[in-house]
Amino acid sequence: MVIRLALAISFPILIQIVIWGLIVGCIYVLLASGLNLIFGVMKVVNFAHGEFMILGGYVSYWLSILTGLNPYFSIFLSMVVVGVIGVITERVCFHQVLGTSKLNELILSLGLIYVLQNAMSILWTDYPVLIDSPFKNMIISFGIVSMGLDWLIVIGITVLIMVGFYILIRRTKIGRAMRAASQNRVAAMLMGINVEHINMLTFGLGTALAATAGTLLAITTSITPYAGEIPALKAFTIIILGGLGSPVGAVVGGLVYGLVESGAVTVLGGTWRDAVGFIILILALIIRPTGLFGEKEI
Amino acid sequence: MERAAILAVEEINEAGGVYVREYNTKLKIELVVGDDKTSPTDGVTVVTKLITEDNVDVLVGGFSSAVTLASQVPAIDHNVPFVITGASSSLVTRRTDKNTSYMFHYCTITDDYSETIVRFLNHTVKPIVAPDRNLSLAILYQNTAYGQGCYQSTINFINALGLNITIVDFETFGMGDTDFHTQLLKIKDAKPDAVYHAGFTKDTADAIKQGLADVGLNTLYIAVECCEEPQFYEFLGSFGDHQIIESKFGPLAESYSEIVDEYKTKYIERWGVIPGMMGADTYDAIYLIARAIENAGTLDKAKIRDAIENIEMPQMLIMMKDGIIRFDENHEIDPLCFIEQLIWNGTTLKPYIVYPDELKQRDFELPPGYVPGGP
Repeated sequence: MVIRLALAISFPILIQIVIWGLIVGCIYVLLASGLNLIFGVMKVVNFAHGEFMILGGYVSYWLSILTGLNPYFSIFLSMVVVGVIGVITERVCFHQVLGTSKLNELILSLGLIYVLQNAMSILWTDYPVLIDSPFKNMIISFGIVSMGLDWLIVIGITVLIMVGFYILIRRTKIGRAMRAASQNRVAAMLMGINVEHINMLTFGLGTALAATAGTLLAITTSITPYAGEIPALKAFTIIILGGLGSPVGAVVGGLVYGLVESGAVTVLGGTWRDAVGFIILILALIIRPTGLFGEKEI
Repeated sequence: MERAAILAVEEINEAGGVYVREYNTKLKIELVVGDDKTSPTDGVTVVTKLITEDNVDVLVGGFSSAVTLASQVPAIDHNVPFVITGASSSLVTRRTDKNTSYMFHYCTITDDYSETIVRFLNHTVKPIVAPDRNLSLAILYQNTAYGQGCYQSTINFINALGLNITIVDFETFGMGDTDFHTQLLKIKDAKPDAVYHAGFTKDTADAIKQGLADVGLNTLYIAVECCEEPQFYEFLGSFGDHQIIESKFGPLAESYSEIVDEYKTKYIERWGVIPGMMGADTYDAIYLIARAIENAGTLDKAKIRDAIENIEMPQMLIMMKDGIIRFDENHEIDPLCFIEQLIWNGTTLKPYIVYPDELKQRDFELPPGYVPGGP
């Protein structure tokens, strides 16, 4: 194994590597926030979350191909489509097993992985898909550092979505209901909150956030029907690292994870990309078992 | 591979089959197909079944060095001749833990890719880009036996041939990776004149696109023959303009061989799609095996093995350096690989052979917007 000193890299390139780490982190933030919401409110572990992410990418791809819509606008349509699919999934699948046993939920979500993967493979084949950005060759310079315009747009959209998410959760009646259900479902029911509706909305919103991540992923790299498994595992790692149920933890955890990955590739090489994040998680849990921000309700 | 094999078998059978002196008649070939699912475990299972239940006389195929190294073991143990057409690691016929005398490698290996690439860089690119200094090369390779083989053989050939090429950076990636931004940024920092990407269709196309569009690494990218599939060209699109691919079989190139043209026509008629690289070796290997059985005059596996080992026949789809298909002491062939430059015509990428000179279809040109590296 060769360890190359990061200091041997020129400063402008190092800055660009850090920024790319943040870009990757943005995608993780969106993915992990959706997963965190679902877990926080419904206490459901959805291993198929990565597949909803990829589905979002494919829906955006289809929308941009069929309508010529700017892919960054198709994100919002994709959120709606995948959100609706998420609601249907919650009703048809998770609602049926909620409260029975955790093993049932686990098996269900594992089965859902293969159902979604095969469905996507049939609809879009196994060939990789990359959404062409209309800004793909536009470079923006900030002094010694230059980067693609797409990078800035990814950051901007992530901030926009997360601000919207924060407002929804903190400033709306639905958000209050979700928080109530995450704290105590029985008490929430007694207070007149329809927790079944909240479950549907939560799952739909969680998968919609995943869809956003999938679209940004399909614009910045590429996707195949099977590309959701590893990111889903990373999303779990992030929410555990950040603290189960902690929204701030998901944001900070996602960004940290992206930076750590980028750093690992820089110093240790590309093959350490996936492993190092999990190593960090293990170390973090040894030091702080409740995660960076502790276990919280939404 | 399966489609190419079926085509070859159908052609041979339509001509009457394979003459076996022992039976004084022509016998039709029965093709029994096994799918290793790109898994070593499944590979062992399927090859064992083919040998013990289907009682095949000869095996042909094998894709992925890691899988083939596992799946060849039952063939070795049962002394069944196996013409390997899809694994690029030379280990398949050079193992030290098993007797590989029944194994034959009808496939280019990582040595062939890298030798062709460094010779091309030295002969054609360096005089244009770095006439007064060493050419700077970066390598981005998949961290598998295949990728490591490409990387190591590049170093070996640069040293063995005394070429004025300096490897300024090397980066790795894992199987299935889609994000190469960090590696490409590091490569950009090393200021290469060219980047050799040792991977497969999807990751190569991803890396080239990310390098050109996102990272601003406007260099010469070199793909290897594993990418010589129509999907690669389609996925790469205009990003592939003036980029390079090392190849041994160019179905999309201008005509360079009548046999290739004929095969391409028959393949399209039979399957409705343009043939990819992966089937070409298998197609040749079926014909090679048929000839070996005729030479052996029997279906005795040991005699077939001997006949394959001593085969000499005119080249077919895969060109040979001396025009003759034969195996050396390592049971490997001596193929003639070439370099194609991809030219974007507004709607598709079209490859043209630019090296070696005896096959050249047009002169090599630097990509538009190319930025040389160097100190």
